Amino acid sequence: MSTGEVEKQERNARGIPKAPFISNVDEYLGADPDAESALKDLQAVLAKYRYMDGNLTTRRRSLEEKIPDIKKTLTMVEFLQERREGKSKAGEDGDDLDDEDDLGDEVSKKPLKTTFELNDTLYAEAELEDTDTVFLWLGANVMLSYKIPAAISLLRSKLSAADASLQNVISDLEFLREQITVMEVNIARVYNWDVKTRREKREAAEASSGKKEIQA
Amino acid sequence: MANAQPQQINLAELDLSQLSDVRRQLEDELTHLTNSFTQLKQAQAKFKACIENVAEVRPQNKDKVILVPLTNSLYVPGKLCDLENVIVDVGTGYYVKKSRAEAVKHYQAKVDFIQSNAENLQEMVQKKQDNMSYLVNVMQMKLQEQSAASAKTSK
Repeated sequence: MSTGEVEKQERNARGIPKAPFISNVDEYLGADPDAESALKDLQAVLAKYRYMDGNLTTRRRSLEEKIPDIKKTLTMVEFLQERREGKSKAGEDGDDLDDEDDLGDEVSKKPLKTTFELNDTLYAEAELEDTDTVFLWLGANVMLSYKIPAAISLLRSKLSAADASLQNVISDLEFLREQITVMEVNIARVYNWDVKTRREKREAAEASSGKKEIQA
Repeated sequence: MANAQPQQINLAELDLSQLSDVRRQLEDELTHLTNSFTQLKQAQAKFKACIENVAEVRPQNKDKVILVPLTNSLYVPGKLCDLENVIVDVGTGYYVKKSRAEAVKHYQAKVDFIQSNAENLQEMVQKKQDNMSYLVNVMQMKLQEQSAASAKTSK
């Protein structure tokens, strides 16, 4: 009964149900107050919230790792593009450059020398060819080649998608925190109400048995 | 409890709860040492891999087109330009350009160093395991004594 009520409640933007606050425990438990099963239901819902919380925290951590990586890759590709544009501009107006003659559409060959990582502590030197194609590792053993402008637009869209998801995940986490607190408060209230009711029943039973003794 | 070497304390004098404390402590130390050993092995495997990688940078590979990683997910076609030297991270932020032979020697020295450490560690692990089995024996003896004594007193 009570879990059904929880599910019928409002949900936030991404389908996380809002936890109802039990202001009046008597009313919540209804005519036949069964505190034990109510507590069990509430605890089940709380466990679900906690599970979601764990999932979102993991997702957030992995997003926070990926985003700087995407930014770095985007910067590199933009740098490569600028270099190419820089070179082709130099070729157009540099008629008196000596070494600009015979290399087809490739202008003054100033190849980029870079040290790249072979292993954790091992680097080697290589010359980058002047190419308009870059290769992007998309994960899951998939690597695709893209022309530089296409690569730049792909990386930009990936970055904005990752940023947006990160914002969503962070706001979901905050919402979940609130709901978890509400559920914990509910559980405490039902438990306390149960303790109070039992004590009252016991006192009433003792009082009435005390009266019977006096009468008898 | 001062128990650097359990055999120096007479284990027979300790009662069962103290013995179980000592045993828990030994188990913790054993786990810790085994973890360290695993880490050493992993580091050693990495350095061995580096030796193989250095072997790849050889003159036969000159002018072959390779995909050069610029970041974790960006690769650009390029060629190896320097085939005699590689750059080795020697720690504390220092990168040294070494010839291939020197780099191989460097990594080999690291591998050997780790090997000797790993062997030391293994001896320690062995000793702790021996201590542990001795302790368990003593515990079993005590248990038997106790149950025999309680059986006698109950009769």
